[in-house]
Amino acid sequence: MKKRQLGAAALAVLTGLALASCGGGSTESASTEKAAEKQADASEAKSDSSAEDGKGLVYWSMWEATEPQGKVIREAAEKFSKDTGIPLDVQFKGRTGIREGLQPALDAGSRIDLFDEDIDRVNKTWGDYILDLEELSKSHDYEKSANAGLIAACREVGGGKLKSIPYQPNVFAFFYNQSLFDEAGISEVPKTWEELGEDCQKLKDKGYVPITSDDAYILSMFGYHLSRINGYEKASEIVKNGKWDDPSVLEVAKAYEDFAKKGYFSENISSNVWPAGQNQELALGSAAIYLNGSWLPNEVKDMTGDDFKWGCFSYPAVPGGKDGTEASNYGAQVFAISKDSKNPEAAFRFIEYVTKGEFDKKLSEESLGIPADSENSDWPKQLAAVKPVMDSLKTRYPWAASAEDNVDMTPILKENMQKLCGGEISAEDFVKNLQK
Amino acid sequence: MRKQSSGQRGQGTAAAGKRRAGNAPILFVLPALFFFFSVFLYPILRTILMSFFRIEGITDPIPKWSFVGLQNYEKLFRTALFRISLWNLFRIWFLGGILVLSLSLLFAVILESGIRGKRFFRAVIYLPNIVSAVALATMWLQYVYSPKFGLLKTVFSSLGMKSLSKIQWLDSAHKFESLLLAYCFGMIGYHMLIFMSGIERIGTEYYEAATLDGAGRFQQFRYITLPLLKGMFRTNLTMWSVTSVGFFVWSQLFSTVTADTRTITPMVYLYMQVFGAGNSVTERNAGTGAAVGVLLSLAVILIFRLANRLLRDRDLEF
Repeated sequence: MKKRQLGAAALAVLTGLALASCGGGSTESASTEKAAEKQADASEAKSDSSAEDGKGLVYWSMWEATEPQGKVIREAAEKFSKDTGIPLDVQFKGRTGIREGLQPALDAGSRIDLFDEDIDRVNKTWGDYILDLEELSKSHDYEKSANAGLIAACREVGGGKLKSIPYQPNVFAFFYNQSLFDEAGISEVPKTWEELGEDCQKLKDKGYVPITSDDAYILSMFGYHLSRINGYEKASEIVKNGKWDDPSVLEVAKAYEDFAKKGYFSENISSNVWPAGQNQELALGSAAIYLNGSWLPNEVKDMTGDDFKWGCFSYPAVPGGKDGTEASNYGAQVFAISKDSKNPEAAFRFIEYVTKGEFDKKLSEESLGIPADSENSDWPKQLAAVKPVMDSLKTRYPWAASAEDNVDMTPILKENMQKLCGGEISAEDFVKNLQK
Repeated sequence: MRKQSSGQRGQGTAAAGKRRAGNAPILFVLPALFFFFSVFLYPILRTILMSFFRIEGITDPIPKWSFVGLQNYEKLFRTALFRISLWNLFRIWFLGGILVLSLSLLFAVILESGIRGKRFFRAVIYLPNIVSAVALATMWLQYVYSPKFGLLKTVFSSLGMKSLSKIQWLDSAHKFESLLLAYCFGMIGYHMLIFMSGIERIGTEYYEAATLDGAGRFQQFRYITLPLLKGMFRTNLTMWSVTSVGFFVWSQLFSTVTADTRTITPMVYLYMQVFGAGNSVTERNAGTGAAVGVLLSLAVILIFRLANRLLRDRDLEF
C-alpha cells in the first residue's frame, strides 16, 4: 500500500514537474530568465517587465522589425519610453502574424494595448475589440494637424465614430515613368479612358510597353473600371451576387479587349507573378504605366535608383460613368487601442508620438511614404506627383474597388482578367467564363 | 498443508501483483492520455462540431456560433472554386506522387548500386529540402520561368527551339504544371532517403544468390528490391499524401496576395474562409474552414486505409 502511495506520489511529482516546466513558471526558470535579462539591456528588460505587469504598454505591430517602418517605430518606441517613462513592449508580428493571431490573442485575454493594420480590417474585422477614440482625440486636440480626409475615412469605416488613427497614408492609382512620358511627348496626364488610349498609342509608337501589371494587382483594373461606371456600391453588388449579365461587366471587358487588341499591354501580362511586372518591366524602364499603391516607389527603389522620375494619375473617367477621377482606393494603416487596455491615455500618447512631428516625418522619409501630419508638408520627391492626386480625392473605394469583394470569385475573375489583357479571350468569353 | 498455504500465498501475491500491474500502467499513461485528449482529441472533436456552425471569428465563444447543420458542407460542394481546389489537390497528389515516388525510387536504386560519390549525390539531391521554400519559389518564379530572361527561355533559345522558348510558363495554361515541377523538385530527396533506408535493410545475400542464379540487375530489382520495399512504399505514400493534403506554402508563393485557380488547394481555401482573402475585407466563416478540415482528414484516413490494404507486406520476412 505504502509502495503504491509512494509510486503515485512520485508520479504526481513527475507530472507536476513536467507541467511546470512546460508552463515555464518554475522558480528555476524564472531565475534563469532574470539572469539572462540582467545580461541583456537593463532598460529594455525593465521596460518589458513593466509592460507585462500593467504599468506600461504592449503594442502588436503589423510591420517586420527589419522593414523601414519597423525600424522607425522601434526607434520611436525607445525614445517614447525614455521621454515619458512609460515602458513600451513592441512586438513585431508582421501582416500574417497580426491577421492570424490578433483576434485569438485578444479573445484569450492577452495583454495588447494597441495594434495597427489596414484601415478596413481594423475597423470592420476587429471593430468590436477597439476603443472609441473621440474623447482622447478631443483632449489631445489631435485633429488640428491630422489629414482631414483620412480622419473622415476612419470615421466612415468606424460607423461614424473615430476608432482608429491613420498613418502611412496610401493611394491606389496609375504610377508611371515620367521619362518615358516625356519621350513620347505626353505633357498632361490622361483624365479619360480615351485620353489614356491615346497616350498608350504614343508610348507604343516609341517602342515602349504602355501598361503592365502583376497577378496580385491586375484585378484592381477591373474593379476600378466597374466602379467608375456604376459607383462602388453597385459594382460591389454585381461582384458579390454574381450579376455577370449586367451590361457594365461586358462594357469593362470590351474596354480591356480593345486595349489588348491594340497592344497596349505587356506581352507578359497574363503570366506576370508579382513582383515580375513591377520589378522587371516598370522599374527597369521597359513598361510605362502600372496600377499600384503609393508604396510602389519604396518597393522598387533599389532597382530604380534615385533618378527615376515618378508620375501618378487617378484611374481615368469612363464614358457615361457615375464616378470620375475624384474617386479612388485610398486609406492608410491605422492604429487602434484595445477596448480592454488599462492605459488608453498612454497608448494614445504613443500613437500621437508616431503619427505627428518628428517620427511621422522620419517614417515618410525612410519608407518613401506619405506623411500623416498635415504640418509635415515635405513629401518624398518620389511621391511629389501623388500629392495632387491625393488632394483631389473625395470618394473612397475599398481595396480593389469591388473586384475582390467575393472571395469565391476572386481567383476566377483574376484568371479571366489576365487572359483578357493577354488577348487570349474575347470580352464575350470573359463574361461567359464568369457566368459558368 | 504448508504447501497449500504457500500456494495460496503465492496466488495472493500474484493477484496483488496483477492489481498493482493493473493500476500502475493507467497511472503512467495518464499524463500521455491527458496530453492526447487536450492536444489531439479535443481539437478534432471541436473542429467536427464547428463544421456544423456558422462562426465568424475562429476564437468566437460557443454562444456566438449559429447552428447551420450541413450547410457548410453543401456550400463547399456548390462552390466552383472549392471544387477546383479539390481537383488541383488530386492532381498534385496523383501526378506529383507518380513523379516524385518514381524518381525517388530511381535515384535510391542508383545510389545504392555501389556508385562512387554516393554521399555527394545524396546530399545534392536532398539539398532543396534544407533551403527555404520562399527562396526556392523565388528562384523558380523570378528566374527559371521568367519570360524575359528565364533559364528555360535561354536554354530553349540556345537550342533553337523557338516555340518552346516563347512559352509563358506562369500563364493560366501552364501555371499548374510549373508549380508541380517546382514542388516535386524539392520533394524527391526526402522520399529518396526513405527508399534508400529500405534498400539498405535488404540483405546482400539475396542479391548474391540471385547473381549466382544468373539474374540481371533489372530482374534483381523487379523480383527482390521491389517486393521487399512494399513497407517503404506504404510509408512514402502515406507521407506524400499527408504533405499533399496540407499543400499550402507553395500555392501561396505561386500566387501572392490573391489566390489563383491554377494553384489553389483546399488548405488555401480553408485559410481564406477562416482569415479572409487577399487585402480585401471579406466574409469569414470558420465553420466552412472546419468543414474543409474534416473533409481533408477523411481523405487522409481513406488513403491510409487503402495504402494499408493494397501494400501489405506481412507475407514477407527478411
